[in-house]
Amino acid sequence: MNNNIPFLNASIAQALDYTAPILFAALGGVMSENAGVVNIALEGMMRFAAFFGVWGSFVSGNAWVGLLWGIGIGIALGALHAYITVKWAGNQIISGVAINVMAMGMITYLLESIFKTTGYSPPVAYFGAPASKVHLTFLKGIPILGAFAELTILIWFALILVVVLHFVLYHTVLGLRIRAVGENPHAAETLGVNVFKIKWFAVITGSVLAAFGGLALSLGTLSSFTNSMAMGKGFIGLAAMIFGNWTPFGALGAILIFACAQVLQLFMQGTATGFAKLIPLGFYLSLPYMLTIGALIGVVGKAVGPAADGIPYEKES
Amino acid sequence: MKDVLKRIVFGKKEKYWWMTAVVPLISILLSFIVGAIFIKITGRSPVLAYKLLFGASGLFPGPYWKSHFAEMLLSSSMYIATGLGFAIAAKGGLFNIGAEGHFIVGGIAAAYLGYAQPFAGLPKFIHLPLIFVGVILAGGIWGSIAGYLKAKRGIHEVITTIMLNWIALYLIEAWLVIGPMEAAVETGISGTPYISVSAKLPKIFAGTRLNISIIIILAVTFFIWFLFYKTTFGYEIRAMGHTLIFGMEAPKAGGINVERKTIQTMFIAGAVAALGGAFMVLGVLFQYPPIFEGGYGFDGIAVALIGQNEPLGVILAGILIGALRTGATTVQLAHIPKTFPSIIEGFTVGFIALQVLIRYWIMRLVEGRKKAIQVDMGGGAK
Repeated sequence: MNNNIPFLNASIAQALDYTAPILFAALGGVMSENAGVVNIALEGMMRFAAFFGVWGSFVSGNAWVGLLWGIGIGIALGALHAYITVKWAGNQIISGVAINVMAMGMITYLLESIFKTTGYSPPVAYFGAPASKVHLTFLKGIPILGAFAELTILIWFALILVVVLHFVLYHTVLGLRIRAVGENPHAAETLGVNVFKIKWFAVITGSVLAAFGGLALSLGTLSSFTNSMAMGKGFIGLAAMIFGNWTPFGALGAILIFACAQVLQLFMQGTATGFAKLIPLGFYLSLPYMLTIGALIGVVGKAVGPAADGIPYEKES
Repeated sequence: MKDVLKRIVFGKKEKYWWMTAVVPLISILLSFIVGAIFIKITGRSPVLAYKLLFGASGLFPGPYWKSHFAEMLLSSSMYIATGLGFAIAAKGGLFNIGAEGHFIVGGIAAAYLGYAQPFAGLPKFIHLPLIFVGVILAGGIWGSIAGYLKAKRGIHEVITTIMLNWIALYLIEAWLVIGPMEAAVETGISGTPYISVSAKLPKIFAGTRLNISIIIILAVTFFIWFLFYKTTFGYEIRAMGHTLIFGMEAPKAGGINVERKTIQTMFIAGAVAALGGAFMVLGVLFQYPPIFEGGYGFDGIAVALIGQNEPLGVILAGILIGALRTGATTVQLAHIPKTFPSIIEGFTVGFIALQVLIRYWIMRLVEGRKKAIQVDMGGGAK
């Protein structure tokens, strides 16, 4: 029995590794959409940041510098999205599509022109290196808690961020203003809230969070950038945000359910017999998306977004 | 004369009838400028890059023009299909991100009907139409799921179409292609079996891969134009599209069954985008491979936006994107990756998202600064 404990802990640690990038993306979506700006560019932002993080780390030899580069590109992309959608009331979906398409082309271009390779970058200094992990040795032998003994700093940051974001959104004036802007911007304006300022802030912060998702992939899980990043993780984040009812803890819960589907799939592949073996792999992979549609229909829980989500705000003159 | 031209080509009333054409043209031009700056910054030669890009694009005569031209039309037919998929839904006020899913659903349907036994022995003139009926039904039904969820449950179609894209991808590539539809091991083929000869699209240009797909899609585009601008059915969808975005009740009050129209619009959009996948399978790959080179669906959004959701515009934009993608294979000679056109495409879409600003600039040029404050806000999908 005791032999199972390291295995169990390793599995949970692996699930957390899977969770962190998606969680960052989902939290980025929560931030932006609570202020009424839809962001389907989470995927593209992750791709940009994953690359820039590796680039920064490659140039400096220091993962922290890479982190800063990733945050920098997150701010830049957030500012671009906000400039189009908030300043000029452009269509939020079109702007998101533009960023996603740009991410596809531009990152492949930069990958080949900077590292002279196709498909992947050379390995760089990263947070997943044994020395850079957060060591909590006293937890090691304990079932379940032992999974937290050796995690990257980015995973810890993602988990802490859930609490922080919940606190900011529901227990501070700023959070109240953000949600007011997302629900009814005209009413918020009447009460003296600067709608544009709040939206700019939320979009850029959300974009930086999505950038952390990309960084968690390239500097947390792996130590390099691969051209197939972010492999749809941004879209799973989007699904998790919706399934989690546009709240931080909801998003975390949704991702844990999705992660269970992943674990279940691995388990079933290995040991299933009889009927369970008939369930194809594709079913488990598409489960997150089916559950999300289910939540929107009201079959699995209930998902209702901010009232003014996706509607460009224009001052009445 | 100007009025007639305006109605035929653009079919929308705007203060300056040419605005619909000028905004995308300026966006494309700006993107090429930004693209050139980007190439310059990374230490390559923009002049050489663009020379190679357009030299091999099939747009201009030159060496190997015949094959470039054929390849351009071949890929354009797929971009036009997915572009129409977006544009049709946009006419009805719906934002269809699902062309990627419709495309692969069309592809798998075409592959199955192309190799499956009861059909594979039929003569070509029966087999091909039969496949297309199947493709249209498969794509249409997949598309109308999002339409149904929008109409009956009020769920935003952007979310459902994104989710349905991934569901389609995983069900096809992680189930059908490696399961029930997998080619027998002893054939040594990965993916589905190859389609029978009777399922291949006839070639129309000797010595090249060009087949009738471009003719089919041009006919479909004409049909869509006719449907939207010459029939009551299309008028009702456009009426719905014009007002749906403001949440108005006018079409309902006017006797239009908005729910049914929404489902029908998404059916047509899905069916047309699925044709693109069928072209890919029946004219290029001849099977559904283990991993489909995707992206046509997302590029379709760009095509539709550049074409301002008008049938003629979608054809022109589809040819442009097809040409860029064809030419892109040679830009590698200038040490530039072949995904370079995505950068141009991304920036063009970005500038189109900024069309309010571009319209403002144009108005300022035309009318002087004062009047431009009242920016003409028309156009766009939403």
